[in-house]
Formats: sequence, C-alpha cells, structure tokens
Amino acid sequence: MRRSVSVAVFIAVAVLGIAALGVKNSAVAAQQKPQNAEVKIDNFSFGPAALTVSAGSTVTWINHDDIPHTVASADDPKVFKSKVLDTDEKFSFTFTKAGTYAYFCSIHPKMTGKVVVQ
Amino acid sequence: MSDSFLGTQAPLAADVVLLLEIAMGAGLLAGARLARKKRYRQHGWCQSIIVLLNLAVIGLTMAPSFRLHVLPRIPAKLSKPYFALATAHAALGSIAELAALYILLAAGTSVLPERMRITRYKLWMRTVLALWWLVLVLGLATYARWYVPNSPR
Repeated sequence: MRRSVSVAVFIAVAVLGIAALGVKNSAVAAQQKPQNAEVKIDNFSFGPAALTVSAGSTVTWINHDDIPHTVASADDPKVFKSKVLDTDEKFSFTFTKAGTYAYFCSIHPKMTGKVVVQ
Repeated sequence: MSDSFLGTQAPLAADVVLLLEIAMGAGLLAGARLARKKRYRQHGWCQSIIVLLNLAVIGLTMAPSFRLHVLPRIPAKLSKPYFALATAHAALGSIAELAALYILLAAGTSVLPERMRITRYKLWMRTVLALWWLVLVLGLATYARWYVPNSPR
C-alpha cells in the first residue's frame, strides 16, 4: 500500500514536471516567433525608446512629427539607415541577428533609441 | 556627434556654424564701417578673411548637410516650409558667396581680365552685404525650424 502511494506520487510529480516543461517550451517558442513592431517618432523622441523583439522581426519607424527625422544605426559600419523621413513617412528594417542595436536621428543626435533582438 | 550647447535639438556643429555666421555677419558690417572711414586696407583684409572663412564653413559643414538631408527631397517636398527655407538659404547663400568671391578677385587681385573687373564697387559691395544679411536671416530661420522644438510651425 505504502509502495503504491509512493509510485503514485512519483508519477504525479513526473506528469506535472513534463507538463510544466511543455508550457515553458511553448512560451519560449511563442516568444521567439518573429513579430512586427512599431516605433513612433514624435516631439523629437522615439517611442518606445527601447524595444525588445525576437530575431527575424521587422521594426517600422513612423514619423508623426512635423519636421523631418532619420533613423540611423549607431554602429560603424551602419547596420541600417533611413532616408530623411518627412511627416507620416515610414522606414522598416528586419533584424535577423540577435544583439542590441542603438540608433539615433542623424539630424537631431539627442534623439536616441535601441532595439534589443533576442 | 556631440549635443547642442545652445539647448536645442541641433548637433554641436550646427551651433558652432550658427554662432560663426552671426559673428561673420557682424564682422562684415564692421568691415563696411572701415571703408566708410577710408581704411581701405583693413577693410579689404576684414572682408576677405570673412568671405574665405565662410567658403570653408560652406564646404565643410553646410553643403554636406544640405546634400544629405535636403537635396534628395527636392523639388518634391519644396512645399514643406523646412525644405523650402533650407533651399532658399542654400540658393541665395551660394549666390552671395560667389558674388563676394567675385568682388574679392576683382577688387583685391589682378587675376581677372580687364573687361571682367567691376567699376561700381560701392553698389556691388552694398548689394552683396544686403544679400549676405538676408541669407543670414534665412539661416537663423532654418536653424529654428529644424532644431527648435517650439519654433513657429
């Protein structure tokens, strides 16, 4: 009787453990699925200033400000660089490699942001 | 790229150019006063240094910035005030600088053939000085429109 209780407890723990692992794995899989993200440019700032996405995701910057801005990677050589974006114009870039990508507006260098790719 | 020391959204280079251009505009007025006092030699040196310094500033900072940020969007975006202001500043500024260089060559050297030299110096110089100041005002407006968040839209 005592032995069968122990076996039952062991099986229950094992089942729960496997289930938990499955949930965790599916969460990680969902997290790593590429998704599209948007960064708004307004009032001389990027919003959100810091963005985390998974590899393969495309980030689109939209200039809602009433003056021109650019989006330029701070890396040398530049990983991405937009043309001058007029009001309501967009720029998109797909991040294929993991890493932290700092960027700024080359017209207004105080405007900075970063994209963290996992 | 360093930040503005004038407290705007401009890069450091734009602030330096702004102050330099204001100083050069004032310097040209001071140089014109030297001519009125008949100190022609000092007048010639003063105006020549400013015109040549401005040529360097145009070549090193303003022209590259214009080529990068404005030129690709004109004429399509000329209806937008920020592109229109910058373009007017660049166009009139080029004319003013070229005219000033012409006066330097005509009045300060003998490299130009006789028929290309000017005789009505005062008219030429006063016209270019007035144009220079118009360009300076357009430059101030361009700076405000591009870099000052609360400037009139």
